[in-house]
Amino acid sequence: MSSDVAARASLAFSLAFHIVFAALGIGLPLMFCIAEGIGLRRRDATWYALARRWSKAAGILLVVGAVSGTALSFEFGLLWPRFMAFGSGIFGLMFTLEGFCFFLEAIFLGLYLYGWDRLSPGVHWLCSLPVVIASALASQFILAVNSWMNTPTGFQLANGKAVNINPWAAMFNPMAPSQALHMLIAAYQVTGFAIAAVYAAGMLRRRTDAYHRKGALLGMFVAAVMIVPQAIAGSWIGEALARNQPEKLAAIEGLFQTTAGAPLALFGWVDTTTGQVYFAVTIPKLLSFLSFNHFDATVTGLDSFPQGTWPSAAVTPIAHLAFDTMATLGGLFLLVPLVFWIGYFRQHRTVPTARWLLWVLLITGPLTFVALEAGWVAAELGRQPWIIYNIMLVSNGVTTNGGIAYFFFVFLAIYIALGMATIGLLRRLAHEDKTFVTKDKMTGNTE
Amino acid sequence: MSQSTLAILSVGLAWTALIVYAIFGGADFGGGVWDLLARGPTAERQRVAIARGMGPVWESNNVWLVFVLVVTWTAFPIVYAGVSTALFIPITLVVIGIVLRGAAFSFRSNYGLEVGSGVRWGHVFNIASTMTPFLFGTIAGALASGAIRISGPSIQVQANPWTTWTTPFALVCGLFAVALCAVLAATYLITDAQRAGDRDIAEGFRRRALIAGAVTAAFGTLAAILMISGAPTLWHGLIGRALPFSLAALALGLATAAALLRGLAVLARILVAAETACIFLAWGVAQWPYLIVPDVTVDSAASPASVLGPMLIVAALGLLVLIPSLWYLFAVFKLRATTGAATNTARVTTTAFVATLSPVAPPPTSDDRDEA
Repeated sequence: MSSDVAARASLAFSLAFHIVFAALGIGLPLMFCIAEGIGLRRRDATWYALARRWSKAAGILLVVGAVSGTALSFEFGLLWPRFMAFGSGIFGLMFTLEGFCFFLEAIFLGLYLYGWDRLSPGVHWLCSLPVVIASALASQFILAVNSWMNTPTGFQLANGKAVNINPWAAMFNPMAPSQALHMLIAAYQVTGFAIAAVYAAGMLRRRTDAYHRKGALLGMFVAAVMIVPQAIAGSWIGEALARNQPEKLAAIEGLFQTTAGAPLALFGWVDTTTGQVYFAVTIPKLLSFLSFNHFDATVTGLDSFPQGTWPSAAVTPIAHLAFDTMATLGGLFLLVPLVFWIGYFRQHRTVPTARWLLWVLLITGPLTFVALEAGWVAAELGRQPWIIYNIMLVSNGVTTNGGIAYFFFVFLAIYIALGMATIGLLRRLAHEDKTFVTKDKMTGNTE
Repeated sequence: MSQSTLAILSVGLAWTALIVYAIFGGADFGGGVWDLLARGPTAERQRVAIARGMGPVWESNNVWLVFVLVVTWTAFPIVYAGVSTALFIPITLVVIGIVLRGAAFSFRSNYGLEVGSGVRWGHVFNIASTMTPFLFGTIAGALASGAIRISGPSIQVQANPWTTWTTPFALVCGLFAVALCAVLAATYLITDAQRAGDRDIAEGFRRRALIAGAVTAAFGTLAAILMISGAPTLWHGLIGRALPFSLAALALGLATAAALLRGLAVLARILVAAETACIFLAWGVAQWPYLIVPDVTVDSAASPASVLGPMLIVAALGLLVLIPSLWYLFAVFKLRATTGAATNTARVTTTAFVATLSPVAPPPTSDDRDEA
């Protein structure tokens, strides 16, 4: 394995691992904040029991997210020192802001997780708010860095060095708002569906008590609230791509010729050597509409760019399939909550427990993680071969050190172990006593 | 403000964050060292005291490290990229240590609330906690040694990947770092244990703090001797420009020992933190203006003013929010007594409030009982 490939594989795997925990780290605080808020207002112990349970899960998941995030802040330098030497001054401001968000998240999470026995009910609930806000803001700054790699602004090039740096302009780069919003909403969707799936699984085992119903209800509530924002963010990101990164859009959509009234190719195999998309379902003019809100608009194809700057033959079909997977599943995520809420209101405001619907919820939960990963794969592969779009090639950002393959396999092993341990602990948590008060083995007191 | 003033402020910010990380995060690593060394009939109680001390705060303490990295790569990109390249192996091991330490702490402890279960993760936790500060120490030793050469606009790094951080000087720096973490943790744990009402444990940590202090002094002396040839620039700085800080660190070390001997735990806690700060200040001043001896200085590595200015403004505003938040966290968990009944009478805790609500736990169904 060459250094280049190993470095890509290492960071790709680290991020693929981190993104799951990061998304839950953004979503779970919202869930326990809402649940505890309702519990406090309605004096309802069931909502408290849910908040307590989710905060325990967050205690595991957010820690893994935090340590894998800390690892990433080293890995940027270990794997991509030349990229960092060029760019870290430009986008450092975003990471500085993110750093403060990370601080506030960790501080108030500590207060929330360990404060049940020390803080009054009102103050304890208030401590969840900074966690919700800081984790959401942190994602915006991180996504602003990622979008800067797509649409780099805020500097000028002189002899291969960045001059006249304006970090604010870099932060508000063209892709930033749409990418950041899309990811934030996705994080809430993932968490909402994941939680609904957990309680659907319980209800499929005939545990249709208030605890399970309310858990599923809140999950589906968050998923439903996100329908409209995600539809808007999704179409916004498509338009932003068409304007700012037509090459990336053409690659992930498999559009080789610049076309007026361009069709949308769903799935299929994009072959950059022959310039064809095989086995695709083609919908006339839809790509033009999605890109420019106009059925006859002209969409730039890959033929407008030198072939050397296309994503490689190996990654283009994967980027296309990943994108279509995300988009198709995205449609499902808009539909499922609708069905759930129709059922809820038709049954006089009770949580529907039809087995087919519970099965749908159970299956949709894991699929949200598939969509999350697929969307990220499409976004990253579509930018290839650039690490900074039109500025720096991935191969020019990578470390000159050898032996990166060892690095890859070591972290692969560690993250697989951590992933399995996390799943094991969450399963144990699911089988624990469901009441709010559990015995604290450390002190002998009840918590 | 001039470019060089901004550069000085930036390096001051990074160094301050590094000192705070050493004082707080160092103690968390030290807690792991004592977890590893816990022996005898009270071993389990010692581990509980360590876990209780770390639980609510270690994650935010860890963020100081991230903050140091972020300020470094923003303000001094060449330093971040150069150090990452030159010290690839120890930094990779540090990353492994940090990932395993944090994850194992939460895994073994059943969401941070227990220590008995998950013994295997307990060993991962304490070994990773001991390895990581050792590696940090070797990295510091390597940066001061002059063996890392960085040249040219394209940042050519020349450094032997294995030998720069494994010199006798660097290795002793690593041992010194572990011992210092152990002193910090033991000293802090005395007052923690006193507040929890466990006198045996408090006395045990007092003795451990004294022993670890003596060990730290011994490694410090050895490091100083090896420094004369191993890192001459640093040595001349320590006995020259940085002499006041060097002497202050020595004096505070002795004062910490005296406070520990007389059982003045709170005073010892303050003194040992001040000692740690002085050690880092002495290091920084002695090495000035080099960030990586002998090629990279504060001025040569600094980003342009248009980068440093906004970063410093954001940092200043951020600290305005951060400091009160941190104060609150430590006030809730470190300044109030930890025994349950005594403090909870004054007001209603969340747990007590929930207990007053009508219990709505689901009635056990047949398959619930099966799983239990």
